[in-house]
Amino acid sequence: MNGAAKTMIEARDLTVGYGDRPVLERINFKVHRGEVLAILGASGSGKSTLLKHLIGLYQPMEGDVLITGESLVQADGEERLRLLRRFGVLYQGGALFGSLTAVENVRLPLDEFTDLSEMAKDLIALSKLRLVGLESAATKLPADLSGGMQKRAGIARAIVMDPCLLFLDEPSAGLDPITSADLDALIRELAHGLGITFVMVTHELASIYSVADRVIMLDPQVRGIVAEGPPAWLRDHAAQPWVRRFLNRGVA
Amino acid sequence: MAVAPPVDSPVRWELSRRADGTGMLVFTGELDTESTPVAWRSLESELAGSQMVRLEVDVRRLECDSAGLALLYYLSIGGMTPGATVEVTGLGPDLQHLFGSFSKEDFRVLQEHEPPCSSIAEDVGAATSAWLADLRQQVEFIGETTLAVIRSLFRPRLMRWKEVLRVFEVAGVNALPIVSLLTCLVGTVIAFESAQPLAEFGAQVFVANLLGLVMTRELGPVMAAIMLAGRSGSAFAAELGTMKVNEELNALQTMGLSPMQFLVVQRVVAGILLTPVLTVFAMYSGLAGGIPVLLGLGFPLRMVLNQVQTSLHFGDLAEGLSKSIVFGAIVACVSCLRGIQTGEGPRAVGESTTRSVVSSILLIILADALFAAVTYNLRK
Repeated sequence: MNGAAKTMIEARDLTVGYGDRPVLERINFKVHRGEVLAILGASGSGKSTLLKHLIGLYQPMEGDVLITGESLVQADGEERLRLLRRFGVLYQGGALFGSLTAVENVRLPLDEFTDLSEMAKDLIALSKLRLVGLESAATKLPADLSGGMQKRAGIARAIVMDPCLLFLDEPSAGLDPITSADLDALIRELAHGLGITFVMVTHELASIYSVADRVIMLDPQVRGIVAEGPPAWLRDHAAQPWVRRFLNRGVA
Repeated sequence: MAVAPPVDSPVRWELSRRADGTGMLVFTGELDTESTPVAWRSLESELAGSQMVRLEVDVRRLECDSAGLALLYYLSIGGMTPGATVEVTGLGPDLQHLFGSFSKEDFRVLQEHEPPCSSIAEDVGAATSAWLADLRQQVEFIGETTLAVIRSLFRPRLMRWKEVLRVFEVAGVNALPIVSLLTCLVGTVIAFESAQPLAEFGAQVFVANLLGLVMTRELGPVMAAIMLAGRSGSAFAAELGTMKVNEELNALQTMGLSPMQFLVVQRVVAGILLTPVLTVFAMYSGLAGGIPVLLGLGFPLRMVLNQVQTSLHFGDLAEGLSKSIVFGAIVACVSCLRGIQTGEGPRAVGESTTRSVVSSILLIILADALFAAVTYNLRK
């Protein structure tokens, strides 16, 4: 893959938390183009907190988040907006706007940020819906879509501006195994076919083994990353027994 | 013939046409969301009426995103050269994959889709049916609440008095400053507005009588109830609505607890008990707001108080307090009902809150009108 070693996102000495209470301290990692990174950890280990800092919802207490080499923490105004457009986010529930149809939800960023004609916007939005297998549900409201379809529509909206980076918050949560496997296949296709980089927070081990190239394991005791590597390798060779147990579905 | 693209555009193209109706369009540069809109318009005007039968679009030296691909797709389906066969060549494998996700059929279906549109008769029918169903629910709810309150009075163990006290404090005690301030200002306004017309008849001293009667019989209870509806009724609806969305009401039911007994009765009892207290405060604040105006008009305080005292009877106070009890029950019942009726979705709680305030105020005014008619006939 051309430019495979390019770093798409980097957490540099990142300390995140709420108020003056740090949840994770001085953590460092990089994610390269086309890679799928899964952030794992027990409940309360700071996975979602880290994700919210990586996407710029919260300001870190210390350190920096670099999106394709540019600081998201220090950017403001137009520069920050430009960096925000480089990535998309899929929230846990899809976060579709209830009053808009699936295609209108997907079109929304195009309506807000481009001067494209109505026809061009419809063509692009429909192409994204077809990519995620939802072309036949374009005119349905989110309330009429199943959980899996809402997540697919959420992905379509997240990729409509052609981001190079996609953040997923618990993409498989609440989905049946078949829908979950379909979603995993879509993630693999987007990562390997289009070179989109993924950073996902998840608890679903089946998804992790299916799509993740690398995982980082967070530990609330040490407030940081305790293990990093391909999921199958960590399952068998991680130095920490609890990491091996975690990746073995609780079996020691 | 070469067509000149916009000078500052990152995308360039060269269009050559041959006499046999074939043509070649060669793109270079970058076709993205910024450059595509301009390029789309320019190309559309350049290709209009070109009468081509075949067009080859060469994109080997073009970088593009989805917006650029949309333009290439539109070209490829003959959108700018009707009747011509168009072939796009030189797309990389990644772009080829994305290009394949564009579909004329999907676009046609979207264009032909029309949102379901019902007739006026259907709308009126549905609205009437919904209104009747809502009315029935309200009647049922009032009946259930009354039974639950009576049951609680006979079996005090069922009543969570701590919760009643909490609601009393939050909805009543904490509301005293704002109710007092508003009714004080209303009293001032009434005194000023009535002083001028009564002065024309030499009856300015009767401003005190008017103020006493209006605040005791009418504005005291109504203002207190409206404040209760806006400030606390909306909070009841939002609280219960959020509990419903979070499935807390389902949890109560599956534990064998009645949401009516567990949540509604306390609020209704607190509402019935606190509204008369708020009303008394509202009455006194209204008078306190009007008295300075009368003093300013030159009437001594003793005279003003005497006028108020002679104009008011126990019946007036009883009427005001009776109203306030009914208004308190209305606000608490309606707000809890709207909260429990909360539907699904992000807007549901907001809608319940709005409906609770609107319904409460409407019913307060309706009940007030009934009271006015009844008490008028009783006084005759």
